[in-house]
Amino acid sequence: MSDLHVPELNDASAGVRLLYELVATPSVSGDERACAEVFVRHARELGYETEIDEATNAVAHRGAPAHRAERHIVLLGHVDTVPGEIPVRIADGVLHGRGSVDAKGPLAAMLIGASRAELPDGVRVTVAGAAGEETAGSPGARHLVGRFRPDACIIGEPSGWDGVTLGYKGRLVARATARRAHGHSAGPERSAGDEVVGWWERVSEYVRAFNEKRSGAFEVLQATIQDMQCACDGLEQVAWIEGGFRLPVGVSPEGVASTVRALGSNQLQVDCSGAEVAHCTTREDPVVCALTGAIRSVGARPRPKLKTGTADFNVVGPAWGCPIAAYGPGDSSLDHTPNERLSLDEFARSVDVMRRCVTDLAESLAAPASATFDAAGAGSRLR
Amino acid sequence: MPEQITTVQAACPECDALIAFERPPLNGQVVRCTDCSVELEVTSINPIRLEVAPEVEEDWGE
Repeated sequence: MSDLHVPELNDASAGVRLLYELVATPSVSGDERACAEVFVRHARELGYETEIDEATNAVAHRGAPAHRAERHIVLLGHVDTVPGEIPVRIADGVLHGRGSVDAKGPLAAMLIGASRAELPDGVRVTVAGAAGEETAGSPGARHLVGRFRPDACIIGEPSGWDGVTLGYKGRLVARATARRAHGHSAGPERSAGDEVVGWWERVSEYVRAFNEKRSGAFEVLQATIQDMQCACDGLEQVAWIEGGFRLPVGVSPEGVASTVRALGSNQLQVDCSGAEVAHCTTREDPVVCALTGAIRSVGARPRPKLKTGTADFNVVGPAWGCPIAAYGPGDSSLDHTPNERLSLDEFARSVDVMRRCVTDLAESLAAPASATFDAAGAGSRLR
Repeated sequence: MPEQITTVQAACPECDALIAFERPPLNGQVVRCTDCSVELEVTSINPIRLEVAPEVEEDWGE
């Protein structure tokens, strides 16, 4: 049992206690161990087998043992958060704290919901809290890519309790740096600052032309300046601009990197990092159907969504190639903000949706007709 | 002997066209009406009931 002594938790459910303790345990990327231990302790109390793997991923399993599992469902959230301490408190049925939305709420909902799901023989469920999701490269999820080959996956990220996320855009970060000997500002030569600003103007023109016949935030190529600096120590000028790109489906990070490098000049060095490929599923995807059906079954109208951000969805989706969707309680506009908070009523609803969804998904997977687990029926793909 | 395909059908709530499923659909599945192109969500599988599917929203964040 938790040794927390918080008056607001006296009458709280196991789910709320788990959520509170996860949020109250700081876990900025790279320092996730304590929070991973909280996760596995609660998971053991819920009847899971647990481990913390070499990448500090917190992992919990239930159902068929690995060697006897015919079907495997992976529920993948993350334990790490961005920096920024927010005092943890419950007020008026709302939990305030860093990570409450992104993404300890979704992770706790998956662990509790899946613990209550009915699993037929031969179905194994793994709930994983990955480390390092908030860092470029997502090392925790990349470690899990090689460990599992699931038949279905749900990513734990905030969609709202009645929302289902179908896809995430890709990403690239490019930094252009110019260096040159300092000269008089009245002279004819371009400064280092002029060089990087000129590069960004060419990049912006490329993006405008690319988007000419596209519309909608998910369809366009987005480019924004994330950081910039221009400095001189009296001898050398150094200027740089770091641009962030959000990539629609079908646009590769490598292709954009090649273009923005080509838009440079011999006065510039352009370095690219943080590449993630956009990934999107369809509304016929069995995981989307299971989540949609579960939300309908509690009397709500499901809200399908496409996200302009990235998540571990982008890492495991293309690698595993299995049915996939993202789900979790919370308003993603509060991600990374000082106002991060989660309604406990919304959390409870999402636990119920997750229970129903995992039960339905496990039953579908175990049915003989699901040999290929293709989407059933007729109709055209949405995208 | 050719495989016998059993189809199930439901009417589009927008245009009444019959939509055929070669296999039983999944609850929550979205299909497109081949006559009026509207997207329809399967909200019940026994019997099959179709409703106009919610529009896909665009959202930012993770």
